[in-house]
Amino acid sequence: MDFDRRGFLKVAGLTLLGLSVKPGWQVFSKEEPAEPSPGAETLARKRWGMGIYFRKCWKEEGCRDCIDACHRIHNVPDMGTLKEEIKWIWKAPYEKVFPEHEFEVTEEDYQQKPVMLLCNQCDNPPCIKYCPTRATWRREDGIVMMDFHRCIGCRYCMAGCPYGSRSFNWRDPRPFIKKVNLDFPTRTRGVVEKCNFCVERLAQGLIPACVEACKEKALVFGDLKDPKSEIREALKFRTLYQRMPELGTKPKIYYIL
Amino acid sequence: MVLTPRPLGIEHMLDKQTKIIGEDRVLFEHIWKTGKNFYITISILIALVLLGLYAYITQYLTGLTVTGLSRQIFWGVYITNFVFFIGISHAGTFISAVLRVLKAEWRRPISRLSELTTVFILMFGVGSVLIDLGRPDRMLYALRYANFQSPLLWDVCSIATYLTVSSISLYLALIPDIAMLRDLGGRGEWFYRILSLGWRGTEEEHHRLDKAIGFVSVLVIPVMITVHTVVSFVFAMTIQPLWHSGIFGPYFVVGAIFSGVASVIVVMAVLRKVYHLESYIKPIHFNNIGIFLMAMTLLWFYFTFAEYITVVYGNEPVHMAIFWSKISGKFAPLFWLHFTLCFVIPLPILAVRRFRTIRGTVIASISIVLGMWLERFVIIVPTLTRQRMPVQGAYYIPTWVEWSILAGCISLFMLLYALFTKVFPIVPVWEVREGREKAAATVAGRITSYMPETGAPKEQSHQVS
Amino acid sequence: MYDGRKIIPGLILFFGLVTYPVWHNLASGKLNYVPKPKLPADKKECVEPKEVIRINHKTLLEDWRNSVVRKAGKTYVAYNNKKYPMSLNRTCMSCHKDKTEFCDQCHNYAGVTNKCWDCHIYPKQLEEKQS
Repeated sequence: MDFDRRGFLKVAGLTLLGLSVKPGWQVFSKEEPAEPSPGAETLARKRWGMGIYFRKCWKEEGCRDCIDACHRIHNVPDMGTLKEEIKWIWKAPYEKVFPEHEFEVTEEDYQQKPVMLLCNQCDNPPCIKYCPTRATWRREDGIVMMDFHRCIGCRYCMAGCPYGSRSFNWRDPRPFIKKVNLDFPTRTRGVVEKCNFCVERLAQGLIPACVEACKEKALVFGDLKDPKSEIREALKFRTLYQRMPELGTKPKIYYIL
Repeated sequence: MVLTPRPLGIEHMLDKQTKIIGEDRVLFEHIWKTGKNFYITISILIALVLLGLYAYITQYLTGLTVTGLSRQIFWGVYITNFVFFIGISHAGTFISAVLRVLKAEWRRPISRLSELTTVFILMFGVGSVLIDLGRPDRMLYALRYANFQSPLLWDVCSIATYLTVSSISLYLALIPDIAMLRDLGGRGEWFYRILSLGWRGTEEEHHRLDKAIGFVSVLVIPVMITVHTVVSFVFAMTIQPLWHSGIFGPYFVVGAIFSGVASVIVVMAVLRKVYHLESYIKPIHFNNIGIFLMAMTLLWFYFTFAEYITVVYGNEPVHMAIFWSKISGKFAPLFWLHFTLCFVIPLPILAVRRFRTIRGTVIASISIVLGMWLERFVIIVPTLTRQRMPVQGAYYIPTWVEWSILAGCISLFMLLYALFTKVFPIVPVWEVREGREKAAATVAGRITSYMPETGAPKEQSHQVS
Repeated sequence: MYDGRKIIPGLILFFGLVTYPVWHNLASGKLNYVPKPKLPADKKECVEPKEVIRINHKTLLEDWRNSVVRKAGKTYVAYNNKKYPMSLNRTCMSCHKDKTEFCDQCHNYAGVTNKCWDCHIYPKQLEEKQS
């Protein structure tokens, strides 16, 4: 049979077209293509969420218990400058967190009060679609995960997050960690990190470190799918705020008045 | 590679060489003659490249902390460079492919130098992203673990396609000239022999080559539009204020063609001067491209105006905060400088025939190229200062590392370009000759075919009896 | 041979340089060096037999990493049906305590660099840091 250059080009073109079907399909599919996850079904039965009581949190001025606990057990470095700071949980003034609330006539006593901010672990995270390597993804139980082994440090997820929850390691963080916790790795320079809802503690049946560390019990954590959980009780019949709910991200951090 | 034709003392070889070179000796001379100025230029460029390399090694060893980037403003000069370089790459496609498809004969002497700009600058566009990575040792993970929901992956695909198609286009148009250099003989003959793929210059070969170049030229035009649209999607697909805009697609494409064509004018002027190509690259070329550039200036202004007026009318606080920082706040000096460079200076120069000389067009083009780099900067950085979370004290001052790498990239581009002109002719000799010999007749024939039919009506082919 | 006076000494020099590692090791007696990683005194059993783990530990650790970080599977069933947590520190390093005495011995010899310890902290390192 005569197989000339034209024929070869035709076959090659058709092959390329065929090979592009799968990635093309992936673009338009909403869910991450299944990496067989042994615990997927078990995980999907839960949906972790956190509630933060304003008034309990404001009882002690200058309190940093949750921040210190989280940063200690996760080896979060203290870089010393605003430029390079890395924070998993932090405080911001109320009027900056909820700028949509009017201040001229209402809620005067909330001004300048600190509000705890962390990754909202959104149900519809705007950050995960941008990662070119899927180093960040949403687990079945709602936690937005970070794989430090795969992150190439492009910082596109940081551009995607409207809440500013993610930090980047601009240099080697190890010299800046005061006391290293053996049970949790440090990170290298060049990767993005954020609050991980203490996945390693959840795996052992413990609650997140910040929740445990709060003396006033201002942070409440639990399974939103379980009607009898502490978090569901806390969210019942109360005025709840969320950060920028109009963006459709469905955050899982509730601020309880 | 310096190719010096050695007549070897045989008369008919001399005769053959004279026949090949013909009246276009100056088009080959920049390959054979290297003056003092060339060596000085190369030395300066190499020094700047080494500076850029040193800056990058500093960054590779310590981390991105050596830049001015911060937790708040995490994209800066490198991403600006990325968008800017990919933008400039649209030059070649426009002047080479679009003008070829439109059958504009005046594109002949400048098609290769613009195509070359495209192919070489694309590599620096990709390079700028890789320089920006926190973990460049993992750069291949983007291919191995590719997530096609990410606009960055769409970028990888479209830029790879663009680079491939442009390189093929450049190479195809080079083949007859390589064959000419092969036939001239001399020390580098083996190199040209391999690359010329056995080109003999027959009618049939020319016909096939025309078809191939035509196909690739038509193919590269939608790719060109896709490339910068996809680059704009990196920003437009996020929900950040003043990034999340549907207009970014066409806006960036127009900006790319704008800056690309302007940079080609600068390249044209430089090459014309240093290689004495005055009789090939003429004022008419600058005039024609100048008129097109004027149209692009107005088109760029239209898109910029449309983008900002919709923001102002919407009056949403989050968007307006960034808008005011550009118009009257922290970024006002850069914003108004870029507007002056992109619009206020070029428009009168390009619009008025008296100013649209070679010098005028080049001044306008330099202004546009600088202004467009600032335009990319002014699109990227102000949004990051505010996003949706008001943060005090966010500022971004690029460090010496970032400027050195920018200088290094541009210098390496110029260096590679200069070395290319030492191996291949920068004006496509065969296309110029084809124009000289056949174009007038082809064009005359084409124009005649446009004219309405004259004379007695023709006999009907079927008669009703 | 045309230009023989340049070519032959050049060839000798070239082969001398290329084979330098071989005859240098011969001369300094390092040719017979075999790395001796320090094995744990009390434990005699690993998660896989010695021959298997010697070849496959890289793939094994990568599989563990992908499983724990990405797929939520945390327990490894060894060849003898014993269950171990898929953890570099808790399983491997609980026996092979010091990486410089165990891992590095072969890795340095073979010229292998791994980046595990850029992030993970082996037990001995923590002791040194805290003392």
